[in-house]
Amino acid sequence: MIKIKELHKSFGPLEVLKGIDLHIKPGEVVVIIGPSGSGKSTLLRCINRLEETTSGTIIVDGYDINDTSTNINFIRSETGMVFQQFNLFPHMTALRNVTLGPVKVRKVSRTEANKIGMELLVRVGLEDKANAYPDQLSGGQKQRVAIARSLALNPKVMLFDEPTSALDPELVGEVLEVMKTLATDGMTMVVVSHEMGFAREVADRAIFMDDGVVVEENTPETFFMRPQNERTKAFLRMVL
Amino acid sequence: MGFQFKYSVVWESVPILLVGVKLTLLLTFFGLLIGFFLGTAAGLGKTSRSRILNKIAGFYIESIRGTPLMVQVMFIYFGLPMALNTRIPPLVAGAVAIALNSGAYIAEIVRGAIQSIDKGQTEAGRSIGLTRFQALLYVIWPQAFKRMIPPLGNQFIISLKDTSLLVVIGVGELTRTGQEIIAVNFRAFEVWTSVALIYLVMTLSLSKVLSFTEKKLEIRA
Repeated sequence: MIKIKELHKSFGPLEVLKGIDLHIKPGEVVVIIGPSGSGKSTLLRCINRLEETTSGTIIVDGYDINDTSTNINFIRSETGMVFQQFNLFPHMTALRNVTLGPVKVRKVSRTEANKIGMELLVRVGLEDKANAYPDQLSGGQKQRVAIARSLALNPKVMLFDEPTSALDPELVGEVLEVMKTLATDGMTMVVVSHEMGFAREVADRAIFMDDGVVVEENTPETFFMRPQNERTKAFLRMVL
Repeated sequence: MGFQFKYSVVWESVPILLVGVKLTLLLTFFGLLIGFFLGTAAGLGKTSRSRILNKIAGFYIESIRGTPLMVQVMFIYFGLPMALNTRIPPLVAGAVAIALNSGAYIAEIVRGAIQSIDKGQTEAGRSIGLTRFQALLYVIWPQAFKRMIPPLGNQFIISLKDTSLLVVIGVGELTRTGQEIIAVNFRAFEVWTSVALIYLVMTLSLSKVLSFTEKKLEIRA
């Protein structure tokens, strides 16, 4: 589903990604952990080209995203992204947030879009908030609407950029619950997160990044129980 | 002999002044209407990634902001027609001057408002597959527009008052009408008081309309 080869990314003189190779299979749930500044968010943002890559290739669903003949807007609509800060559109109701993509990108009729939108709001447990504006929602509710907004385009991959890091602790669970359901339903997911419980329970693979490289990757059991690399061990000691 | 304020002069002048008010409002309306489009275009040009658009917008904004409106008015009415060998009616020249002038300031208002919207909004819009233009139109603009209203109101009031400068090209707006009345009755105090009050009524009404609009939009975040 996603093939990343020799990916390098620099911001000016600062090299953030120093050659990443990563294959993600359809239906796989990959959790990326690592200290801040390790490049994990940048890696995620390169996958839907919110950041331009400096060198290397990224193939998403068979399309080279840096190829000029690739319609990046189409690739992005097939690649849902959930942000740490939710980034809901504050001037639209929850339902409108969810239906904007279907209406403007997929050119679906308003009635049809509303139907899709309501189904998704039901799926994230917020059907009663359809007409609420983002400032009337809690952080957890906002993030669930944001997930529904991405799902509305029927993406093949979902990217999660620290989806629970901006939430009050008691609201983390409801968002993880929605993500678990997604994973169970077979969605391909790349999750940058520090939720070790989620990683252990849901992930097919855990990846540890540090200083712009993938240091270690393994199944969650092995990864958490018997980490091989010293840097991974040190990091896990600090967070667990 | 003390000065006597003659109310009768006010009552006699007001109906004549109202004829000037009509032109003042007309000039303000069309000047700002065109100015808003110019300003939006130039403001977007300034935020655009295209270097050429950037330069063009920058040149327009700087050259207008850096020269007095009075000079712009006379350039458009006396200068340009000489170079182009045509004539421009004073009213058109006046509206064009107000439009060009307000446009430059509105451009900065538009640019500032757009740049004040969090980058995450554009990213969220683009990540669901919206094009750059769609993200601007459906996500950024509605939020930015709300932030533009107070500074726009300020600019509207400035432009309304600026139409008084058009006396130099003989447009019969409110200030010019006042001058003409004084030329006949020599009652400068009463007439300028009346003129000032009429301007005040217009600007206060404009403020009221704008703060009402702002509140209306405020209801939703």
